[in-house]
Amino acid sequence: MAKMINLTIDGHSVSVPEGTLIVNAAKKIGIDIPVFCYHPKMEPVGMCRMCLVDIGRPVVDRTTNQPVLNPDGTPKLNYGPKLETACTTPVAEGMVVDGLSEKVRAARKDIIEFLLTSHPLDCPICDKGGECPLQNLTMGYGPGSSRFLLDEKMRLAKHLPLGDLIFLDRERCIQCGRCVRFQHEIVDDPVIAFYQRGRALEIMTNSEPGFDSYFSGNTTDICPVGALTTADFRFEARPWEMKSSASICAQCPVGCNTTLNIRREARANGSMVIKRVMPRQNELVNEIWMCDKGRFAYHYMGSEARLTSPLVRKNGELVEATWDEAVAAAADGLRAAGANMVGLAGGRLSNEDLFALQQLTEGQGGKALLYSYMAGGEMTAALGMAPGSNFSDMGAGTVIVVAASDLQEEAPVYYLRVKQAAERGAALIVINPRETKLDRSAAHVIRSRYGEEAGMVAALKPGGRVPDALKDAAEALAGAENLVVMYGSEGLGLEGSAALANACAALVKASGHAGRPNSGLIGVWAHANDQGAFDLGFRPDVDLPTSLAQAAGVYIAAADPAGDTPALADALDRAGFVVVQELFLTETARRADVVFPAAAYVEREGSFTNAERRVQRYYPALPVRPGTLPDYLITAQVAAALGRALDVRSAAHAFAQMAARTPAFSGLTYTDLAKVEEQWPIVGRQDMYYGGTGYDNHQGLGVHLPLTGSFVEGQDAPSAPARPVPPRGALMVYPITRLYDRGITVTPSTLLKDRLSGPVLRLHPQTAAAFNLAQGVETHLTLNGVTAPVGVQLDETLPQDVALLPRSVGLPIWEPVAITVSQPSAVNDAGN
Amino acid sequence: MLRGMWTTLKSMFEKPVTIQYPEEKRQVRTRFRGRHVLKRYDNGLERCIGCALCAAACPADAIFVEASENTDEARFSPGERYASTYEINMIRCIFCGYCEDACPTEAIVLGDNYELSFVERNGSIYTREMLLEPVSDGGAPTPQQTEPGKFTRSVPEMKDPQD
Amino acid sequence: MTEQTTFLLRHRAVPNIDQLQVYRENGGFEAFRKVVTSMQPADVLAEVKSSGLRGRGGAGFPTGIKWGFLPNNIWPHYVVANADESEPGTFKDREIMESNPFQFLEGLMIASYAVGANLSYAYLRGEFWQIAHGLDEDIAALEAAGLLGDRLFGTDYSLRLRTHLGAGAYICGEETALLESLEGKLGQPRLRPPFPAVYGLFGKPTVINNVETLANLPPIIEKGAGWYKSLGTEKSPGIKIFSLSGCINKPGNYELPLGTTFRELIFEHGGGVPEGRTVKAFMSAGASSTIVTADDAALDTPMDYESTQNVLNAPLGSASVIILDDSVDMAWLVDKTVHFFRHESCGKCTPCREGTYWMSHLTHRILHGKARPEDIELLDTVAAQMQGKCLCALGEFSTMAVRSGIEKFRADFEANVRRAPHG
Repeated sequence: MAKMINLTIDGHSVSVPEGTLIVNAAKKIGIDIPVFCYHPKMEPVGMCRMCLVDIGRPVVDRTTNQPVLNPDGTPKLNYGPKLETACTTPVAEGMVVDGLSEKVRAARKDIIEFLLTSHPLDCPICDKGGECPLQNLTMGYGPGSSRFLLDEKMRLAKHLPLGDLIFLDRERCIQCGRCVRFQHEIVDDPVIAFYQRGRALEIMTNSEPGFDSYFSGNTTDICPVGALTTADFRFEARPWEMKSSASICAQCPVGCNTTLNIRREARANGSMVIKRVMPRQNELVNEIWMCDKGRFAYHYMGSEARLTSPLVRKNGELVEATWDEAVAAAADGLRAAGANMVGLAGGRLSNEDLFALQQLTEGQGGKALLYSYMAGGEMTAALGMAPGSNFSDMGAGTVIVVAASDLQEEAPVYYLRVKQAAERGAALIVINPRETKLDRSAAHVIRSRYGEEAGMVAALKPGGRVPDALKDAAEALAGAENLVVMYGSEGLGLEGSAALANACAALVKASGHAGRPNSGLIGVWAHANDQGAFDLGFRPDVDLPTSLAQAAGVYIAAADPAGDTPALADALDRAGFVVVQELFLTETARRADVVFPAAAYVEREGSFTNAERRVQRYYPALPVRPGTLPDYLITAQVAAALGRALDVRSAAHAFAQMAARTPAFSGLTYTDLAKVEEQWPIVGRQDMYYGGTGYDNHQGLGVHLPLTGSFVEGQDAPSAPARPVPPRGALMVYPITRLYDRGITVTPSTLLKDRLSGPVLRLHPQTAAAFNLAQGVETHLTLNGVTAPVGVQLDETLPQDVALLPRSVGLPIWEPVAITVSQPSAVNDAGN
Repeated sequence: MLRGMWTTLKSMFEKPVTIQYPEEKRQVRTRFRGRHVLKRYDNGLERCIGCALCAAACPADAIFVEASENTDEARFSPGERYASTYEINMIRCIFCGYCEDACPTEAIVLGDNYELSFVERNGSIYTREMLLEPVSDGGAPTPQQTEPGKFTRSVPEMKDPQD
Repeated sequence: MTEQTTFLLRHRAVPNIDQLQVYRENGGFEAFRKVVTSMQPADVLAEVKSSGLRGRGGAGFPTGIKWGFLPNNIWPHYVVANADESEPGTFKDREIMESNPFQFLEGLMIASYAVGANLSYAYLRGEFWQIAHGLDEDIAALEAAGLLGDRLFGTDYSLRLRTHLGAGAYICGEETALLESLEGKLGQPRLRPPFPAVYGLFGKPTVINNVETLANLPPIIEKGAGWYKSLGTEKSPGIKIFSLSGCINKPGNYELPLGTTFRELIFEHGGGVPEGRTVKAFMSAGASSTIVTADDAALDTPMDYESTQNVLNAPLGSASVIILDDSVDMAWLVDKTVHFFRHESCGKCTPCREGTYWMSHLTHRILHGKARPEDIELLDTVAAQMQGKCLCALGEFSTMAVRSGIEKFRADFEANVRRAPHG
């Protein structure tokens, strides 16, 4: 328990833990000391001088160690000769802080006046207007008129692009350094920096492409002026013109809390559109940050290409139909299929949608399958993060194992959370076949070979014989007070993933920490709600092509297997009756017998379960696109036609039904998900100059699910597949995840187009040489029956004799596979 | 009583004050608040920079603004920003003039036109094309192709209002 | 006085003392040998403390006390010699490093031993690259002679020296900005506390001493603290190099005991003002100084850390005395100092970054007859607004010449404003 210090601020008493800065102590009692450069999530620098206050310290007699008293009995105070910065001064017993005196008022006015001598009068054209800390503080503390000659104002570059996503206006910059410090301290991407000195001090970027960081959007939230703005939101709307709606990002399993800002748009013929996505504070999940993918890749939901009418196959062609027709056709087809049906769900679906699909499938006696290349969701349910867990609480004593994951690519905000835990003293053990950014924060880096990750994890288990290379890591594990094990999908297919999940789960169980807060197993899933799918009974299928091909009825929602791989497209062609619920006319939808147009998730309510097993609610931001319906309603209609009434009139209703029938959700209601608590630091609309323009959270922090199920080592999991040996002349290719891929949820956001990963083969230079491949020279590869051109990227940090290919860039890779490569002009050579 | 009747008789010969509208139209006073006009500079560039302060000031929420980026190939106003969509709903407008006060570039002014009837509700939405004043002599219509670096300043130096 | 009358600028008495052999023949490195072989670091510290030596870089902080701040449970310790001499009017350190380099290096080595540093640095301003090359050669010579390296004189003590060049920034003379630059980062001052003595170079306890301060150490060790205290004044003991410049017949460095008066420096040593002019004013600490009206009381003030401050309200600083005769227009002078500070401001804190910029525009307009009468008041107000708010001393000092210039020589400013119609 930290020692408490008592002091007086502006006449009010406050008691705070030792080490608290005066600016934060004042915040606790609702006194806002104005700041620019200080941010509660970063180390103070005391550079803007806005927070200057008068500080009096009690005088202590050196000989007696007793406080010296005034004649009237009050403690004698020694006020410093100069004002001091509240953001850098920790509290002290008996301190008296005065922020109301004439001297302080004059100081604040002077600092604002200094800033305004250089800051241009851009408010009418500046995107920050209306949510601008400088505007607010000028109104509160600044002078009414200028004494500076306009002609002498410093002229600097305006509207300067830092990469495609962020614009910098150097005239507006007040050199507070928040952006540079965020990039250096918090995300460790020092791609922007100060340049020159004095009044010419300016921000520049030293990366190519400019501002090359997955977190660049956050700097626009914390910039106290309109110097850093996003290209996405440039000139879109004024803050007061937009309505806000709480949501959850659906791009990855972290489940960042977001706020969507919407407005009616003339350009969109008067319909409501999402203007921007902003982070919403949830200190248990994403703090006040979000990654650029979540921030900028939302345009797919507003796309003109969305399905807006049910389709039914007549005479071999898909034609528009009414809802009644389509539902009837779907029900007829599925009824005929009987128990030989498959319900295939994608991880984009909400819990309510998944529940409906699961109920329909169960009612038919079919198999509920999850379209996923990762396994282990039942293990994360049994051994996952226990309620009460919070990455922010992890520090010394915690061991975090991250296996087979390039964490910054797979779940950027998890990278932030783990990195910061490591900086607070947590021992990070990274097990990965290649170097990734997470290595920098790791206490132990274990280089496994592709295919041997599960073995490495298993070798760390206490009680076994630990190889020398792993001794330090094993020792760290043995001494852990908490243990978090995270596994990703680096170089793994479903079989490999199952083996890895099994090994990780065994490690957690053997540690004895399972079930305690800040311990558990986390699967870094590919989609937002894969965990929810597992909790609701969906399981991935190792032999999905066969299962689909042999099914007489297939019901697919939010998945595009045919678009991913020809083998699955084939399987679907051979399947019986196919019903698809989707946003777009995907390859899978084209092969369907009935297609239902789904509403986007921002058009309705629902909930997602993140990888830590926190269920979070999202709210509708836009009206449902005419012609579409929410997924759970569609499924319910079909289920009803099949004779199984689901009674899911609304998402809340569906949730209640789900809670009644699923142990994991037992007792939960939407009201529980909407509960909030006061969070620290105070971020949000009231006082945006303190924490930035992220949104406060009064719509729900979510609820952490209890652990359910049990784990028996080896149960349901095959042992790790043998490390494949490629045939002569062929090269083993392993799938990896890149944040900006070419999936349907990313490509409609055209501002990201130059950052998208393409079909590029990554290899070690020596490996490339052995196959006559050169940097940047296009070649062809043959992969799972498909021949396609690929670029070549050489990387010395990769292991030899392997190649890496990103998923979801247009090539059908879903597990390690052997490929052959050939030059574009040459005939495909086999047998080198 | 006779005096009263004399007054009535006298008035029969007085010049009538009735203005025969619409053939004759009365001169409006200075500061008359009539239909809005989006002003231009002498060179034809629009003054409106799409800042939406008028929309924010409007007590009746009558103004809708959407902004877009100027380029030197297609320039509508000086500076970076112009109003690509500008609509005033005349049914909502109360002709208070707050928008005029709020405007940082003296773009929106309430002019003299009070003849604003329309036959459908849609007709009450006045768009930017309807509100922009015509280009004066010596000016060019917008969008214009301009020299890079010449029109970089959005907000002109303002003088105190003359009336 | 003993027969040796120069203890710092020894090259003026001993030719070629910049060669190691000559330096050693004249007693060089005996002090270092003495401390390493026969004294404990604590003893060296005590001796220096007793001598009353104060920092010669400008702050005047007692050196021995500063060394004592280093905690003994955090290692390694570093000593960094501040050779970033950039104060206008200061050119003493360069003369020491150019002509008597080994005494400076010996001082650095003694300081390193006293605080237990095994690797010490000399940070030189970028413009001193030739001097740095010379020092590198001197360091190589010391290594060859066994005076630097491992297990010196057969003891456990090892010491290596490195030079490091800045890139042309006055602010890197500020000790924490110097450390930032030495670490390869942008040269901007750090927050203090923590102070370098506790958290310095690479986060370790560090002593930063001025070149002249370090050059005082060999004679102190050799001749004793008592000898040192016998020179100078009671509170400002010892000898000081005064850099005299401006409107003076014999500008240059003068090694004199502290307590010498301005009059003596200017007229006896400096040869007085050329062309028979009178001294209108002087600045005692280079550009970081108030402008002192040169009346008799001022001229008769002794040059030590207390007297200049108490009597003249001007710091002694690095004792760079700039003489201004009656032909100097104070508005012109203030424009020059303000321009310097605006150019050198690091830009980290708002008042200095914006204030020096604003002041430079005001002084420029005043000087070129484009100012309005109220601009003089405005200039004083802006300077006053900066005071007490800046992150480091640069901003604070930039206002001193401005405010004292307007206060004491307002007529000069007004004359410029009247020169041309304003507007």
